Amino acid sequence: MTERIDNPIPLLEVKNLATGYGDIRVVWDVSLSVFTGKLTAVLGRNGAGKTTALRAIAGLNKVGKGSIVYKGSDVSHLPAHRRVGMGMALVQDGKRVFHRLTVQENLLLGGYTLGIGRRKMPEKLTRIYDIFPMLGDRQNVTVGQMSGGQQQMVAIGQALMAEPSLLMLDEPSGGLAPAIVDEVMGILVTLKATGMGVLLVEQQVEAAIDVADQVVVLDIGRVILDSPASELVDLDVLKEAYFGSAKLEGDASSEKHESA
Amino acid sequence: MFLLNKLTSVPSYAVPIVAAVIVIILPQLGLSASNERQVILIGFLTLLVSGLNLSLGYAGELALGQPAIYATGAYVAAYMGAHGSTDIVLQIAAAIGAALIVGVLTGIPGLRLGSWSLAMTSFFLVLLIPDIVNIFPNATGGMAGAVGIGQATFFGALLTGYGFYLVCVLSVIAWLAFMRNVVTSRHGIALRVMRQSPVLASSLGISVFRTKLLAYALGAVPAGIAGALFANLDRYVSPETFSFALAISILAASILGGATSVYGAVVGAVIMQLGPSVSTSFQQDALIFYGILLIVGGVLLANGLSGLTTKAWKRLVQRPVPTTRQRLVATTDFHFSPLNGAKLSANGISKSFGGNAALEDVTITAEPGQVTALIGPNGSGKTTLLNMICGFYRTDAGSIDLDGVRLDQCKPHEIASLGLARTFQTPLIPEGITVFQVVLSGRYSPERISIASAALRLPKFWTVRSHDRQQVAEILEIVGLTALADVEAASLPLGTRRMLEIARALVSNPRVILLDESASGLDEGEVERLSVLIGRARDAGGTVILVEHNFRLVLSLADTIHVLAQGAIIASGTPADIEVNPRVLTEYLGVKDKDVGAAAVAIEADTKGSSL
Amino acid sequence: MMTLIWSALTIGAIYALVATGYNIVFTASGVFNFAHAQLMMLGVFIAYAGIVVLKLPIIAVFVMAGGIVFLAAALEERIAIRPVRMAEAQLVTTVGVATFINGAVQRIWGPNPLSVPFVGSNRLLTVFGGRVLPYEIAIIVVSIVVVFGLMVLSKRTMIGLAMLAVAENREAALLRGVNVRRLALGAFAFSGLLAGLLGPIIGPQTFAAAGLASAIALYGFVALAIGGFGSLPGGLIGGFVVGFAEEFTARYVNLNYPDIVVFVILLIVLLLKPDGLFGKPRERAV
Repeated sequence: MTERIDNPIPLLEVKNLATGYGDIRVVWDVSLSVFTGKLTAVLGRNGAGKTTALRAIAGLNKVGKGSIVYKGSDVSHLPAHRRVGMGMALVQDGKRVFHRLTVQENLLLGGYTLGIGRRKMPEKLTRIYDIFPMLGDRQNVTVGQMSGGQQQMVAIGQALMAEPSLLMLDEPSGGLAPAIVDEVMGILVTLKATGMGVLLVEQQVEAAIDVADQVVVLDIGRVILDSPASELVDLDVLKEAYFGSAKLEGDASSEKHESA
Repeated sequence: MFLLNKLTSVPSYAVPIVAAVIVIILPQLGLSASNERQVILIGFLTLLVSGLNLSLGYAGELALGQPAIYATGAYVAAYMGAHGSTDIVLQIAAAIGAALIVGVLTGIPGLRLGSWSLAMTSFFLVLLIPDIVNIFPNATGGMAGAVGIGQATFFGALLTGYGFYLVCVLSVIAWLAFMRNVVTSRHGIALRVMRQSPVLASSLGISVFRTKLLAYALGAVPAGIAGALFANLDRYVSPETFSFALAISILAASILGGATSVYGAVVGAVIMQLGPSVSTSFQQDALIFYGILLIVGGVLLANGLSGLTTKAWKRLVQRPVPTTRQRLVATTDFHFSPLNGAKLSANGISKSFGGNAALEDVTITAEPGQVTALIGPNGSGKTTLLNMICGFYRTDAGSIDLDGVRLDQCKPHEIASLGLARTFQTPLIPEGITVFQVVLSGRYSPERISIASAALRLPKFWTVRSHDRQQVAEILEIVGLTALADVEAASLPLGTRRMLEIARALVSNPRVILLDESASGLDEGEVERLSVLIGRARDAGGTVILVEHNFRLVLSLADTIHVLAQGAIIASGTPADIEVNPRVLTEYLGVKDKDVGAAAVAIEADTKGSSL
Repeated sequence: MMTLIWSALTIGAIYALVATGYNIVFTASGVFNFAHAQLMMLGVFIAYAGIVVLKLPIIAVFVMAGGIVFLAAALEERIAIRPVRMAEAQLVTTVGVATFINGAVQRIWGPNPLSVPFVGSNRLLTVFGGRVLPYEIAIIVVSIVVVFGLMVLSKRTMIGLAMLAVAENREAALLRGVNVRRLALGAFAFSGLLAGLLGPIIGPQTFAAAGLASAIALYGFVALAIGGFGSLPGGLIGGFVVGFAEEFTARYVNLNYPDIVVFVILLIVLLLKPDGLFGKPRERAV
């Protein structure tokens, strides 16, 4: 809890968020915070509402209830592109980069909100190529021809081009080999050290906890655990929350008979 | 209020019939010859607009080619009239035939791509009229126009004055009756479903292309009739009549009267026929006026004037709707009539998109009388597999078969007709139709009925209709939606819409029922109800495939579970097998191998502690 | 023979320019602007007004034509496109805009074709053994320059990249901070600017005629269909194909047949190669 005392005002504060698709509500009540230079990991099983909550924070889904406060101002109803301009960048799952464009073009698009011409871009690009040397070697390769891991690097590099204060990532480890997952997580630690706030949605529990400062666990659209990562070292608390959250209501096999 | 109740108890066809009788006897009431001519011209325009309404308002395709079809009918009749075949019935029949041929031949390429392709090809057709007329100067009279058309006859009797008036008016009335019968039958519902969601339409067994073509071709019929009558009005046909301006005024009339309506065509035609004759300055500025009308009409009145009045009328007469909560009482006292379930198997399915493999060598089977569940993380390929089974994607390798019938070569509507019914992640409930009609749309494939039987109300129509009503009523009772039967379905809450989708799937007596994340967004009570329904469908012998995120629902219902991850099946088995499978824990729940031992214990607790 | 080729290239270039206008708007916003040919026609009439009636200097004519049509296109987007969600309703409103411009132009300038003088020389030249007028060469050169210029711009400017991004994945573009709606408005306005600037150039060939738009709208559409929706070079080649089909049919077959031949080409392309020669086939998604 010490970090809260050091940084009394969170970079991002989500309060009682409810959201979904049309009137299909997937997230019922989610509150979480991200602090400057810290990483908050959001965990939870499939369908828990992690991605949906992230989409609402980025402005892709409408906020039904609750609020999203970023750098002290309420952004709950701002269009997505304005939030990007304010320094909130989302890296979507599934490597949703522009497959028909080259690596360099993808990165350039990442810098769209900087409002500078293409001439001033090279130095920004160099910065990204320093972080991801692999991308520097493949500047003119069409992204669609790259491997999943490489596309993930493009996606992160693209988000970083906007020089965000808050970086949000949706399952960056999805479909990647363990070595590459470690690499991605290592990069997140580096970014954190530069003062960036990171909001990480992950399925891979251990990998996420290793780099996280704060861990939030969701289930069926609600927060079931919100704890500093340091208190989750032996994972028991987490497992308790993760798997033991639901209270008994009769065992599974008898339920089946009832419904049959 | 009393008066309103009286009015609403009058059958819907009463007003048009009274109006039709009045129009028929107008000349007897002292209508002048010039006004008689105006009525006839309004009738022609009504036919043209009505044809456009079928394609634009009901099938959702903008066709600008009505003048070309009109011209076809007119030149065919003119040619016959000038060569001794003066019988009006023969001429109309020939004109309809020619109109259908021209309409279908030129419509197919545009319809295949839809929207602007059809708008452009049909518009092009109008531009071609003068060229084609010039190519056959002997038959058409070229730019000077066709003359020498003999006086029309009706079974030998010369048609003059009132006789011709009567033929024109009766033709319009006959067409409108035909159109009304089609539109109010299940084919009308099919058109609306298709317009709003082609995916849903094909999943109900409706061939999207064929239905669009049918609507477009039927729309050519009144234009052909109008053409034949037009040739006999002045016994002179000139290519200048069939201009682009006419196409625009037909479109404007359709928008004005309400494109999705039967009688709106009359309203639009009256306004567009009489409007320009009010002042000459209007004629000069007609295009400007039409342009503004189309812009405003397109923006404001998506449904035209008639749509607005219908809405106002409904608001006036609508009775209070019972709240859905109190009506969704779970009747557990029901059973399904036996379902003839079939074995569905997908063998070695592979699919890739642009070099990225979405599915690799996936094999699953679903047995009758069992619930087969498919689970897996986002992006694992569940939706892709679903789309392959339903025929929306082609397989790169592997086969899918249903009791020995290969599905992987079939189109979606063919697969639906073979007995595969499904629901959607986001319920697809078309706007503007009632709960009853939504469920009725599920009856499209199990018992077919032709458009002709529906339009002419042949005995078969009535038989099928009574079957439909009985089946729909039964299923509504089971899902507890009887009280909502006449409510507009699209505005109902999510839980009700999900139930409605399941009712629509069940009413077709499906051999396989495929539920795509039916529990998502439902509260506990609703999930409970859903699980009872699924259980009953299985007990009735149906083959149930459950694609679900709700792990607990899956564990409690499924007989077999297939787990997909990154495009491959990583585990298949009973719930007991799956919940302790280490790979499932790793891939699906994100717990690494080293913790599997502990996690397995934890998940055991989880499944026991399942709250739906 | 070469003379015939020159005139085929000239009218083909005009169709290619119409197709390019369709493509700009289609790429950025997914809308098919039925009224684009009318916007070009408006440019030609304004060129006529500027050169013949007001006798303005040529630069002023370009500014006026470009500016007015720019505004007209922007207005069209705000009034007839943005408030309308459904594609079929957008078709109706764009047809409405087209009809309105047709009517307005007829009301202001009358139904008879007006000739627009070329800003340069009118001396008949002989190039590669064919006779050709300077404005014909200008039209051909401009069409090629516009198409290649746009291809370069789309890769070399941030706006161009943003358009390509929106065309590929609207949501992903939004997440990179692209204001998708403003981009759509910008694309409309830009297509209008281009249409206006082209007015004084194509005017000498097409005349300022109220019936001009309908014909070039259709032929431009055929060029688009041949080249594939969204493909700039495809539209250019499609335009030339249509130009050649039209001129050669008129010369060697019969004056009544060019429209029919082009129509048949359209039907065949739509039936056999619905994504055009350069378009990318798409798999239907649910």
